[in-house]
Amino acid sequence: MRSDTPELFKKIFALSAVAILIVGFFLAFIEMPKGWSVNVNGRVSRLYILKNVRTATKLLDSGSFFAKGMKPLRTDVAYTPIEFKKTANLEDGAANVVTSIVVDYRGFDTLGEVTVLFLAVSGVMMLLFGKPRKEKKKKTEPSLIMYVGTRIAFSIIFLFGIYIFVHGHLTPGGGFPGGTVIASGILGLFLGKRGYNPNHAGLKSFEALSGIAFVIIGLIGLFSVNSFLANFLPTGIVGNLYSAGFVALIYIAIGMKVGAELAAMVDTMITDTEEEWS
Amino acid sequence: MMQEFLQNWIYFIASLSLVGVGLYIVLTKENIFRIIVGLNIIESGTNLFMVAIAWHPNAVMPIYTATNHLMVNGKVVTADPLPQSLVLTAIVIGLGTTALALAIGIKIFEKYGTLDVRKIKEAEK
Repeated sequence: MRSDTPELFKKIFALSAVAILIVGFFLAFIEMPKGWSVNVNGRVSRLYILKNVRTATKLLDSGSFFAKGMKPLRTDVAYTPIEFKKTANLEDGAANVVTSIVVDYRGFDTLGEVTVLFLAVSGVMMLLFGKPRKEKKKKTEPSLIMYVGTRIAFSIIFLFGIYIFVHGHLTPGGGFPGGTVIASGILGLFLGKRGYNPNHAGLKSFEALSGIAFVIIGLIGLFSVNSFLANFLPTGIVGNLYSAGFVALIYIAIGMKVGAELAAMVDTMITDTEEEWS
Repeated sequence: MMQEFLQNWIYFIASLSLVGVGLYIVLTKENIFRIIVGLNIIESGTNLFMVAIAWHPNAVMPIYTATNHLMVNGKVVTADPLPQSLVLTAIVIGLGTTALALAIGIKIFEKYGTLDVRKIKEAEK
């Protein structure tokens, strides 16, 4: 596209690209198998089930749907239903199944995810690094109500963030949302006072130490259970605060790391720097 | 009929139209920040698609509580938790990439004094 191309032509081009995407998506649907003779559980996606909600619901109620073609993982022990606050010593023990996948079964993946976030934040810091601007732009000073109110709100938001990441294995939430909540409280402190300057060395060392704690927990699993990031603690009773082994420990480390990281990023973005371009 | 159609297709139509709207924005807009907004809309479309794959009208959320039994008579009755955990990863990575893209946009504005991609191209000549 050149800059003298008419506007209408560009819009038609974009709309046709979108139309090709939509048509291709539905063509991919048509190619999927039909009929209930195929084993649904062998397929990767559940899209196929969603096409026929009524039939799927009927099969689900009669109990013949999910059991079709499914074999129990273990036949040596009898099936016992899991009861909240009663069943003990499960394989993972987290009440929140998503958490048990994210932290326990795919813990290495989560380590990579934390690394990606760290790289993104260091990229932002590298790009926005510079000397603070000498002639400061004129901005209105926040009022006293704002200054006091953000401080009061910060303590409550901080406590709520800690609650979210400590209860990550019981309720929706976990390390990443908890850390973001804490960082939003620190953003409030920045808005409440102009030129608010957090303890940079403290933030950096906090972030580094919690990152190291994650790896150390993984290494303890490597040396005690012979697998990196393996659960080395007893899993306890489903639904108790002290359950699910190391899931809570890792989520505390992740929450502190994400909170410190995002607070440092907010600090970098809010500081007005100048740079001389050649 | 209508209800069944909505139950079957509403999330897929919504996610697909989000991806379409985002793609249209990315292809037509000239402002860099608007392009970043378009990328974010595409990202939310894909996230909604992944969550909708795992969803069923009669399924419960995959969290054990006092009243929420994930297994009834030996059959699983939850939504599939694996796409949800993948979406959790995708959201965090989307946050990181958005922050990096915004920082690059700030630097481009400092150098060229504009966010219009065409004017930046002309200034380069």
